[in-house]
Amino acid sequence: MFLTREDEALLKGEHGEGAIIAMSVLVKLGEMYDADTMLNIENVHIDGAAYGWINDSGLELVEKLYTSGTRFRVPATLNPSSIDFELWKKLNVPSRIAEKQMKLANALVGMGATPTWTCAPYQYGANIRLGQNIAWGESNAIGFANTVVGARTERLGDLADVCSAVVGKYPNFGLYRGENRRGNLLFELDNNCFETLDSTDYGTIGFFIGSIAEARVPVVKGIPKDVTTDQLKSYCAAAAVGGSVGLSHLCGVTPDAKTLAQAFHGSRPEEKISIGVDELEQTRQKLCNLKRDSVDVVCLGCPHCSVQELTKLAQLLKGKKVKKNVRLMVLTSRAAKTLAAEIGAVDTIEASGGNVIADTCWNFVPFKGKTLMTDSVKMAWVSTSKFTEVGIGNMEKCVEAAVATKQ
Amino acid sequence: MQGIARGEALVTRQPLCLYDSLDPKSGRIVNRRHDLYGKNVSGKILIFPRGIGSSTSAATILEAIRCNKAPNAIINLETEPIIAVGAILAEKLYGKTIPIVHRPEKNPADLIETRDLTEVNASQGRIELLKRHRRKSPHKTGGA
Repeated sequence: MFLTREDEALLKGEHGEGAIIAMSVLVKLGEMYDADTMLNIENVHIDGAAYGWINDSGLELVEKLYTSGTRFRVPATLNPSSIDFELWKKLNVPSRIAEKQMKLANALVGMGATPTWTCAPYQYGANIRLGQNIAWGESNAIGFANTVVGARTERLGDLADVCSAVVGKYPNFGLYRGENRRGNLLFELDNNCFETLDSTDYGTIGFFIGSIAEARVPVVKGIPKDVTTDQLKSYCAAAAVGGSVGLSHLCGVTPDAKTLAQAFHGSRPEEKISIGVDELEQTRQKLCNLKRDSVDVVCLGCPHCSVQELTKLAQLLKGKKVKKNVRLMVLTSRAAKTLAAEIGAVDTIEASGGNVIADTCWNFVPFKGKTLMTDSVKMAWVSTSKFTEVGIGNMEKCVEAAVATKQ
Repeated sequence: MQGIARGEALVTRQPLCLYDSLDPKSGRIVNRRHDLYGKNVSGKILIFPRGIGSSTSAATILEAIRCNKAPNAIINLETEPIIAVGAILAEKLYGKTIPIVHRPEKNPADLIETRDLTEVNASQGRIELLKRHRRKSPHKTGGA
């Protein structure tokens, strides 16, 4: 790999001890994947911001960097933490976890990260643009940055993101390289089959595409023009867990793939697959195994709810009461919660018995029960170690499952 | 990742997301939807086609190595950089890591079965089947 004088200086310790560790990890990774150079990175999203995910080994690395005086060279945002910094005691999070999380927060923010604590940093906190080389962790955010914004990021692993923020570099391989962004497969959405698509449908479509595309780049034709940012969020999250999709070209949405020719770089698709009602139904059946009429937990906000989603939820819950034996959890960012509180949405949700939780992920919220209803295809797929039965439905169906039928 | 390791093979043809499937503190596969559900990867030569899903898998493999619950080696058709990062960091932080072989000439899942005693030499890019598992032989756990 060709290293510039600046790269060499980082490796040799001219920018501190932390830079040596970070740079040597990234150079070794680059060698494994035949990178030719180290790229300059302009923005980082750190996935490894939760103690519960990066564990003691990750905390040790981050503290080692911080205490040796390391500071981030580029703007960095943070993924959810292990705790809601305001509500953790009320939510019965063990103080042992909270203490470790606060140490981690102290080190990450101390090195210069913005404490966004959200898995949807593209909605609140991160400023990125078309064509920029960025280094993002968190699979849904990676998908969104590449697919919707047209920035360029490889799928970063936890702590590689921290290393990248320290040196502002990442090896040039994978999705940074133009030739690897060429579309491979064509999916055609049969619009006549769908009256209207909601966020959960977009998640189902994403999951179906991800499971076929695996690590290849899907091109999708027929995405309706009225698709919302929240629906694209749901699509990207599900495509990433259905396969390893870090980039989709959604014709009409993805800014650097406006036409099919542009998406395929002038070449032909390896395969053409149409998506209609049957494909969606089969995917739903693969994801759901709920047999009962009632569930223990209803969860929204995977990825984190936007202000618009919180507002809609408040409208649906207004004047209703969540059943006594059901836990309604709503996950969001501190920024969205603060804005939604300004317009009264948080009070409405909580008055009905729902729980609006910020800064963290459902993974870390203690709850009782083994059955789940969610609007998130991603959550339905990745939560099987916590739930024995999982059902998927849009926000209206989730509210229906949460509230008592007779008021 | 370079190095030599030996152990019983644990083979799947299903892609694996370590983040939601592996409990790094015990080495157990906890994803009910995976065909390795309930198995323990610790000390094994873990063979799966490729990693999928979450970027947290890097921290998962790092923690498994720290807790001595990682497989002795990993063989993939294509190793996700996310998994490679975990192994590189383990070497930097703890001076220990696990060999990873990727892009082998033949698909190891066609040649090696679960519980076959297998040796991996990632430095030379060699995978060797030392001994086929016989159903009636007493259970032995391989170690590197």
